[in-house]
Amino acid sequence: MFKKLLVANRGTIAIRIIRACRELGISTVAVYSTADKNALHVRMADESVCIGPPAAEDSYMNIPAILSAATTFGADAVHPGYGFLSENGDFAEACQRSGLNFVGPRARHIRLMGDKPRARRIMKRAGVPVLPGSEGTGVTELREAQADAKRLGYPVLIKAAAGGGGKGMRVVRDAAELTRLFPQAQGESELSFNSRKMYLEKYLERVRHVEFQILADLQRNAIHLGERDCSIQRRHQKLIEESPCPILTPRLREKMGKAAVRAAEVVGYSNVGTVEFLLAGGGEFYFIEMNTRIQVEHGVTEMVTGIDLVKESIRMAMGERLGLKQRQVKFDGASMEFRIYAEDPERHIPSPGVVTNHHPPGGLGVRVETALYDGYRVPVHYDPLIAKLIVHAETRAEAIARGKAALREYVIDGIKTNIPLHLKILQDPDFNRGEFSTDFLSRYQPPQPEAVHHAPVSKAS
Amino acid sequence: MPANDQARRRVAVAARHGEQMEVRELKTLLVLMRDYGLVELEIEDKKGKVRLVRGGARTPEDVTAAARAASPLKMAVRHVEATEEEGAKAAGKIDLAPNQKLIESPMVGTFYRAASPDAAPFVEEGSSVRKGQPLCIIEAMKMMNEIESPAAGRVIRIIAENGNPIEYGQPLMIIEVI
Repeated sequence: MFKKLLVANRGTIAIRIIRACRELGISTVAVYSTADKNALHVRMADESVCIGPPAAEDSYMNIPAILSAATTFGADAVHPGYGFLSENGDFAEACQRSGLNFVGPRARHIRLMGDKPRARRIMKRAGVPVLPGSEGTGVTELREAQADAKRLGYPVLIKAAAGGGGKGMRVVRDAAELTRLFPQAQGESELSFNSRKMYLEKYLERVRHVEFQILADLQRNAIHLGERDCSIQRRHQKLIEESPCPILTPRLREKMGKAAVRAAEVVGYSNVGTVEFLLAGGGEFYFIEMNTRIQVEHGVTEMVTGIDLVKESIRMAMGERLGLKQRQVKFDGASMEFRIYAEDPERHIPSPGVVTNHHPPGGLGVRVETALYDGYRVPVHYDPLIAKLIVHAETRAEAIARGKAALREYVIDGIKTNIPLHLKILQDPDFNRGEFSTDFLSRYQPPQPEAVHHAPVSKAS
Repeated sequence: MPANDQARRRVAVAARHGEQMEVRELKTLLVLMRDYGLVELEIEDKKGKVRLVRGGARTPEDVTAAARAASPLKMAVRHVEATEEEGAKAAGKIDLAPNQKLIESPMVGTFYRAASPDAAPFVEEGSSVRKGQPLCIIEAMKMMNEIESPAAGRVIRIIAENGNPIEYGQPLMIIEVI
């Protein structure tokens, strides 16, 4: 068992990891920036250490500072959470070199899945369906992109080879748009990932985003824990996730689940991970990418399977074997997660400030993951995700009713949140019928101030 | 930072406030604290300000520990108050004159006053320093990072303790600029 684990993150996921460690009897070290001096994760951890100024690159993404904190405070493991350094192969490798156990997959798996064209190639070879798209290592020149687009047929999606978070992503509907938007997307990729490598994929309209949770040990045993439907999203930001996906038949679930497990097995993946697919109307599905970390929405899988994914991630990192076979995984009821963002629900812009009153909802099947408390100041420097409300019930209809009740009960005074938007969505007849695709939220979109073209097919954590 | 570390640091800071406090005197204080069941002791300079706290009266840290066991959310609220209180106190203690500069750690690591365990400290309280002269070392990832004096002057207080873990931004020393 690890003795002391450093949590290289903040906010809700840092709290989640600290709780798991308490149950496992592992002591915790929190790291924080000067902006997070009063953050809950700092108070909940057994020890805490300030590692830098507010800017993430100088604190939560500062590899030498985090490693120095871990070795100075005698930690033997590091959990990266999600975001920040969680999908940085160099960080995973630096941890191992410093004698620290990185709670996650091996560095080479992070790098492999981070190179999107390469991941596509490997998946295709393994018989996992991928979208028609650029072959080989990707494209850097406009004329290569033009040739690919012509072969695929418009519309196409431009993506960054080293991509993530929707950066460098554009939907293009004709050759003129490609000529205009390719350099833009490439510039964004260069800024965000220091890479000019792009690739194209056939753009499908009216698809759902359905992802499978993978759990794998270091002995190459892998299982899946069912799916999450994350189609309710906006500009690469997921808003509501649910499990099970309301339209998946048992047969299709088995087929997609097998493909997801194959994706993990073919590379010898270990720890927790998520295989993302696009699901088209006729039941065709396509691999888009694999996230090599715990996801924001892991909670809905925990609710329907009863498996604590964060504890499992720590156990897998310690070399423990999977305690379950695929057929032993049982799914119970329906779960939904509502992401609460500190933002103006009308204009969709961040709303930082002091939370003067925080009253989370409760009751049977209601779970709140948050780092909020009365008097907490939501800093301007980080992601606006301030809470996750997760409900669990026997049926989807009951989960919706429970979600509505809990959202109405939730009090967060002092700042604006997107709770009103969630309530609107829960009233929507299509949502209630389970009939939606990734463009669903465009009907609740405020007028865009600028004519930026955003891809509804997104990449959010 | 665990509560006892903070308490330890506070004793050290308070002790340095008296002029040339000897280890003997410090020991006397510690014995007094034990005999009278004090959990906190603060001594200010020049006949001013004494703060003694008996074990019965709860310190902010104790409240936090109790609240921590009971409720993580309520605990956080109290701790913020406690932190702000401490912040105000600390600010009161590190009250800089216009010609004084506070040296803060630019990184997380371990504080050392000398280049090696058997070497003499870089500086003592009262030492004159040139601009750019090494004041101490912060060890991070087996790398020794010398912290240089930002100006010519005199070291008037060494706040951090040799061999202790240091956070980003933690006060290390005070320099009086000449």
